Amino acid sequence: MDFDTLRTCALVILLAPLCAAILAGVFGPKLKGHTHWVTIGGVGTAFAFSVMLFLQVRAGHGAGFPVLIPIYDWLLAGVGKAFRVEFLVDPLTAIMLMTVTGVALLVVIYSRDYMRDHGACERGYERFFAYLALFVFAMCALVLGGNFLLLYLGWEAVGLCSYLLIGFYYDKPAAAAAAKKAFLVNRVGDFGFGLAILLIYLTFGSIEYQVVFDMVRQGLDANGHALAQGTITAIALLLFCGACGKSAQLPLHVWLPDAMEGPSPVSALIHAATMVTAGIYMIARCGAIFTASPTAMMVVAIVGATTAIFAASIALVQTDMKRILAYSTISQLGYMVLGIGVYAADSAVFHLFTHAFFKALLFLGAGSVMHAMGGIIDVRHFGGLRKVLPWTFATFLLGSLALAGVPGLSGFFSKDEIIHHALTAHPVFGAVGLVTALLTAFYTFRMVFLAFAGDEKIPEGVHAHESGGWMLFPLLVLSVGAIGAGYLGVGAKPFHHFLEPVFANTFMAANPVHGGHGAAHPSFWQAYGLMVVSGGLAALGIFAAYLLYVKQPWIAGLAKASWPGAHKAAGHKWYVDEAYDAGLVEPAKKAGRVCVGLDDYLIDGLVWLVTAVPRGLGYLLRTAQGGAVQGYGLTMVIGITVIMLVVLWNSA
Amino acid sequence: MNLLTAIVFLPMLGAVACLVVPKNLVRQVAVLSSAATLGLSLWLFPTFLGGGGSDATAIFGTSYGTLHHVIRLPWIMGDSFSIEFFLGVDGLAFPLVVLTTLVSFLACLASWNFNSWKVNKGIRAYFFLFLLLETGMLGVFVALDFFLFYIFWEVMLLPMYFLIGVWGGERKEYAAIKFFLFTLAGSVLMLVALVAMFFYSGDAIAAAGGSVASGYLEGVMLQHGTFDLIELATCPTIQSYFASGSTLFLGMKFATVMFMFLFIGFAIKLPIFPFHTWLPDAHVQAPTPVSMILAGVLLKMGGYGFLRLCYPIFPTGGEVWAYVLACVGVISIIYGGLCALAQTDFKRLVAYSSVSHMGFVLLGIAVMTKAGFQGAMFQMIAHGISSPMCFFLVGVIYDRAHHREINRFGGLWLTMPRYGTMATIGFFASLGLPGMCGFIGEVWVLLGTFDAGAKYPWAYPLAIIAAASVILTAAYILWLIRRVYLGKEREEYKGYLDVSGRETFILASLAVLCIALGIFPTQTVFNFTNGTLDLMLQQVTNAIAMVSQSAVSGGLIG
Repeated sequence: MDFDTLRTCALVILLAPLCAAILAGVFGPKLKGHTHWVTIGGVGTAFAFSVMLFLQVRAGHGAGFPVLIPIYDWLLAGVGKAFRVEFLVDPLTAIMLMTVTGVALLVVIYSRDYMRDHGACERGYERFFAYLALFVFAMCALVLGGNFLLLYLGWEAVGLCSYLLIGFYYDKPAAAAAAKKAFLVNRVGDFGFGLAILLIYLTFGSIEYQVVFDMVRQGLDANGHALAQGTITAIALLLFCGACGKSAQLPLHVWLPDAMEGPSPVSALIHAATMVTAGIYMIARCGAIFTASPTAMMVVAIVGATTAIFAASIALVQTDMKRILAYSTISQLGYMVLGIGVYAADSAVFHLFTHAFFKALLFLGAGSVMHAMGGIIDVRHFGGLRKVLPWTFATFLLGSLALAGVPGLSGFFSKDEIIHHALTAHPVFGAVGLVTALLTAFYTFRMVFLAFAGDEKIPEGVHAHESGGWMLFPLLVLSVGAIGAGYLGVGAKPFHHFLEPVFANTFMAANPVHGGHGAAHPSFWQAYGLMVVSGGLAALGIFAAYLLYVKQPWIAGLAKASWPGAHKAAGHKWYVDEAYDAGLVEPAKKAGRVCVGLDDYLIDGLVWLVTAVPRGLGYLLRTAQGGAVQGYGLTMVIGITVIMLVVLWNSA
Repeated sequence: MNLLTAIVFLPMLGAVACLVVPKNLVRQVAVLSSAATLGLSLWLFPTFLGGGGSDATAIFGTSYGTLHHVIRLPWIMGDSFSIEFFLGVDGLAFPLVVLTTLVSFLACLASWNFNSWKVNKGIRAYFFLFLLLETGMLGVFVALDFFLFYIFWEVMLLPMYFLIGVWGGERKEYAAIKFFLFTLAGSVLMLVALVAMFFYSGDAIAAAGGSVASGYLEGVMLQHGTFDLIELATCPTIQSYFASGSTLFLGMKFATVMFMFLFIGFAIKLPIFPFHTWLPDAHVQAPTPVSMILAGVLLKMGGYGFLRLCYPIFPTGGEVWAYVLACVGVISIIYGGLCALAQTDFKRLVAYSSVSHMGFVLLGIAVMTKAGFQGAMFQMIAHGISSPMCFFLVGVIYDRAHHREINRFGGLWLTMPRYGTMATIGFFASLGLPGMCGFIGEVWVLLGTFDAGAKYPWAYPLAIIAAASVILTAAYILWLIRRVYLGKEREEYKGYLDVSGRETFILASLAVLCIALGIFPTQTVFNFTNGTLDLMLQQVTNAIAMVSQSAVSGGLIG
């Protein structure tokens, strides 16, 4: 490990995409259809240096991490301390960076063809690549930042990029509304996150990760007093609030399905593989804070488990391929959050890693279908595409198998680990994990069968065609990942060992189940028995989907007819959006109108009253000076009479 | 030639020139003189970058607390009073001076298309008043004699009245008179304070034996009451007399009442709930460049007044009213945001967002912490950059569409891509996106408010409510962007020209500053302001501590 190399790597990883974004933005109108080269160059460079950074970290394994790399003094805090721009490099950073830049590179390559045909807006092509590069910059900044303020900065910056990219087809009203919703819902989470940072600063007098975490471990605040349990729980829960927004956990999940209005590559990169995992990253990074509060950990686990099963239930009845995948993403993020909540942060990060491959693959595959179907993505309108789109079908199937948790593919290993830890933490968590696994297999293959199995059905006027090499290449690479990534976590578990130094002091030490000695080695039956069960559930789910949607479709119709209420409610996403509208949005608008009414009538009314006094006086005086000589004469006569009367009275 | 005097009166020179040059050259003269003023004000930078030790005319204190480029001439002298022409600039005034010259220059450029306005008569008068206004504003920021300050304050009022009332929209007379009356009401209170402070300071000196050493000038003895703002804030005799509980005004404690009088005067300007209703009307009716000045500079005078007059001279008043002011600040933040949410008029929405943003200024000042003062100051500068940009963005589309109904717009980004990009930058800066100027000020104020929780327990809930406004702000701004810039392109706006070179220049300058202030807040603002603000806060807290100390000991003896 060499400090200067790490510093260079970190800087290049950040600056290469930023430069690409600026170049694409400024020279895009000149480059037109060649803009993708700029972004491929920038993101490719970032990826190369991420690999280099990873190798550096691996070479220096165990010694000297985390490394803090100060860059410059950003601003001087009001209390006299400097907030620095500084990077923190440790195994978690290395893995996140590789995942982000790697998937981003593939998505950029894919977009070259995809956006060419879907650039609905004029000047759209270069704008897209500029935003994409900007996103990679922001995401790397989020991951590399060495203190909470930088984390927040990256956090909001990825939110902005997400906003711009969801609303990329801004002439589509649905896209414009979805973009707004995404940013706004995230703001609700960020409100909590922001308060958490303020609270951290006031409690510990610093926002640097290492300083804060050390103090938490010692149980001291900035004044050397013992840390109150309430404070640390409040900080953890407020941080989790932010994570719920970004990682689409209940009840802030509502933005992610709508975010699918953005172009498919964006869904794959931002809303499946990278940005939405920022919440997971944040909790994992702040392990010291979270593990200091068992209450917060319990909340995290409960929210994760609930989200997992809740989102899966909605995915069962959706018909838009991308929305099915979106709910699936929410559900899988729920698994990750559950994993962290039961102190298995390494398993959660492992699932994050494998999920990035197979979910990006699925989204890009869905994009390829959409590309072939001329923009139509609703599975009710097409079917039997396996012959028309052979490569897309093959890769999509691989991704689906991984998502469904079929033994041997990546999703199986990582999900199984989380379920295992959940089961040891509390049987209910384990049961929820298993049921969700069954639902996952079912809805995944419902989608696969509807789209690819059966008789060929293609919407009218669409010339279906397999995508070209630019789009198929990323699909193939990701397929390899979807199959192979899981093997990093079995046997000697190189993935987990690599991460061990990050979590050893936090999640592993604090795990109540294993008495603070890290993950216990499960017995043979525990380990393999669970594998058999979850593998069996995956098979059962797939078989059920096969039965319902290929062999005996009438059963699906019967099920729908038997429980119309449940079907409708799930179709309406359990009415969460409606509840928000009625409970928050409309009242806020009403309050706004009330305030305006107050302004116009009450305050201005009072002002009018105040001004009425001088106005009234003025009116009286004005009539006295109307300019008519007769009036003056009359007044004079009256006045003289009065004076004379008074004088006479007095003298008398 | 004193630099400050030149900066203040150069626009007035330009104003006079506007009256005599041929009519087709008036615009050029006006832009040139505002540009020259901007250039001159940039000459102030070396003083502040270098720390200011070498300045021969510097007085008072050290480092940033120093008053630079001081000019002090007797102006109206009598046996028992002396009114001086006293100008100086410190860390508090300096950024505001540069902001004023910058916004004035850009607003002057924004007036370039005067001839195509609906009311396009009287080009000479317009630019004359415009530049006169600039002199008034600059004078307010650098005047250190209360009497002089008051005169500049009034000088600024009249041109504004005419600029709105003559060149405004349909209900311009109503808006102008409303603006005038509100501000005048504040001025009256300020005038009472001006006179009272003069006489009471005289009383203080008389009570101390008729001759007292100056608080900041060596070897100078005060014989009678003073208008010197620095003296009022630093002379121990005057300060303790003002703060004493037995000094009464109309039967109430002097410091408490005077603080409120001055406060209301400035709060109307800021503006703060419930004194804000003139602002939306004034903005909606004012022509675009005047709105830019109004939002960019005029509102800042309120905040400047708090920091220059209220707190240093009557620290105990600040202590007494802290809770009320902080609450009013938070109410402004939320109330302004809610009103903005309900607007359908583009310009009114931006105007109400100003009320919300200025609430942060009051909150930060009211809690009297380092971060609070610094954040309030930063918020003023940041809003001084972002709000003129937003108002100009409104102006750009108003020039083309001749209406401001939000719901009638849509898809403008598609029609005018460069305009759409600029609008995104401007509105996201106003929204307080991290990395842009709006963010730093809000965070600093919140930090300061939380920090104040140690002495004022009520600060915690207020900070949380204020922090919740980030959601509200995002809501109305994103909803606005969606309705105006996103969505389907509308038939009626097709063929609209994208922003011209001149418009792009104005927008781009402000956009660059929006980002620069967010990324380099220390280098662009804090380095210049923090020294003065910290010093000021130190004196304020010392004074408060001393008074409460003497109250305690007095109680013991009694």
